Amino acid sequence: MIDARIVHRVAGFTLDVNVQSDGPVLGVFGASGSGKTTLLHALAGLARPQTARITIAGRVLSGTTHAEFLAPELRRASLVTQDPLLFPHRSVRDNLGYAPGASDRLESDEGQRILTMLRIGGLLDRATQRLSGGEQQRVAIGRALLADPAILLLDEPTSALDAELSRDVLALLLRVKEELGMPMVYVTHRAPELLAIADDCVVLDSGEVAAQGPPVRVLSRPRAFGVASLVGIDNLLFLEVVGHDEIGGASLLRLESEKLAVPLCDAQPGTSIGVGFYADDVLLCLERPAGISARNALECVVVSLHELGHDVLVELELGAQRLRARLTPGAVSELELKPGDRVVALIKSSAVHLLG
Amino acid sequence: MTALFDVAAFDVIWLSLRVAAVAVASTLVPAIATGWLLARWNHPARAFVQGAVMLPLVLPPVVTGYLLLIVLGRSRPLGMLWHTLTGGHIAYTTGACVIAAAVVGFPLMVEAIRLAITAVDPRLEQVSRSLGRGRFDTFLRVTVPLAAPGILAGAVLAWARALGEFGATIVLAGNIAGQTRTIPLAVYTLLNARDGEAGVVVLIGISVTFSMAALLMSFRLSARDAQGRPIRARSETQ
Repeated sequence: MIDARIVHRVAGFTLDVNVQSDGPVLGVFGASGSGKTTLLHALAGLARPQTARITIAGRVLSGTTHAEFLAPELRRASLVTQDPLLFPHRSVRDNLGYAPGASDRLESDEGQRILTMLRIGGLLDRATQRLSGGEQQRVAIGRALLADPAILLLDEPTSALDAELSRDVLALLLRVKEELGMPMVYVTHRAPELLAIADDCVVLDSGEVAAQGPPVRVLSRPRAFGVASLVGIDNLLFLEVVGHDEIGGASLLRLESEKLAVPLCDAQPGTSIGVGFYADDVLLCLERPAGISARNALECVVVSLHELGHDVLVELELGAQRLRARLTPGAVSELELKPGDRVVALIKSSAVHLLG
Repeated sequence: MTALFDVAAFDVIWLSLRVAAVAVASTLVPAIATGWLLARWNHPARAFVQGAVMLPLVLPPVVTGYLLLIVLGRSRPLGMLWHTLTGGHIAYTTGACVIAAAVVGFPLMVEAIRLAITAVDPRLEQVSRSLGRGRFDTFLRVTVPLAAPGILAGAVLAWARALGEFGATIVLAGNIAGQTRTIPLAVYTLLNARDGEAGVVVLIGISVTFSMAALLMSFRLSARDAQGRPIRARSETQ
């Protein structure tokens, strides 16, 4: 789907990458300043690298000669950025109909389908200033899709939104991927998003490809690259399927001596699958509570406590596995947590994301 | 004498308004192009271009007029070329008034437009390009509408400046009643004439009124620009 060889030198920074992927969604992961946005701009034609041989979906967007450099407007690569960047002087309808041919497409069945999918059909006559952040981003995605692109270039599309809206936008993009079969390059610094949507990923570090491959493989071995801290705050596990509890609506995975209940999946027992969950979704108790809805109550040992901004990241040990929970300083002092303490980690099965 | 003068005063005012309007209208597009160039072009030569554009703002207008005369005078190359092509002259005509007014108003207009375009988020232009709109299309559909309040403010300011133009006009266009005698030149003529002082009251009143109105309008437009609420979006939301 995508084949890119790019060398781009700008003041004090060099992006030097070689990326091949069959997609359909290529994730680009890295810290800020790693070159993610530069790579996306090179693909979009908004940057003009010294070397850029780019083929997307069989079309040469940039080749070795000057004449082979396609202008951004000819690339059919629509950009969606962190800020929705809706045109403030145009209504929602005029934003959606902005691209050549988009206003006709908006009226077509395909256009109606996109509006329904993104839940923006009722917003058409609003001014963009009157939309919430989530609505603005949904309109921006709709505007990009109505341009009839060959590929969507997404630059941290959820980063400006709170956790709930982020999940909503991510879920919509998953539908766009599955129902419209839209290829994407998805730039993010959030590992769980990458795991949820990307089929393939590259990890950028200081302008170079530090790792490339399926997201689960790449991100569950954070020592393989220099951005371990970015991944490290989330729980990524590669576990064996023990069985399925179809009535209970859960699949069970072997987690050392315990079992981890996760949303029902169709993986064969005996095979291994990747799962991930946010550190925020892990609750800690001093004793095993009774009568709770959370499917998972795992006995762990506190290994260490790290202050991260306003939060405390608690490292837990469960046999050979490590888990991470994020608590407030108040909760840590109330529970009087210290390394060596035994605690019970509660995790709702629905908070566990199936990966890959 | 008084009645006669009133007719003459009307002619003077009408001529001035026309000259200023034509001067602004004919330089609006080049001013937008220059403002865009200065706002978006990152090149060491930019400062030089900006200096050249701004020069008439700080140069004594008489000098500007003289420099224009050197180029456009009746025995000068461009003046002669014009004569060959059209059979007419530039210097000492109403056209010369327009040129003088345009040259001194241009920097004010360009500066206002440059600031307005600089305030347009370039990422909006990038998104427009990625959505399939070319550079020029993007300029017309995104940049110009968003900079519109600033562009109008600059045009109004340049119009007010053109209305008051004296030094360059008197050198390039002379002081010919009915042809090149605009408000400032008429005031100057009256002040030099015996008993003329009484006649300038109307012209001065008109000058102050138009200039103040233009400034207020320009401020209003700039204020809207600063809120990031362009005129079109305002009307759409209401």
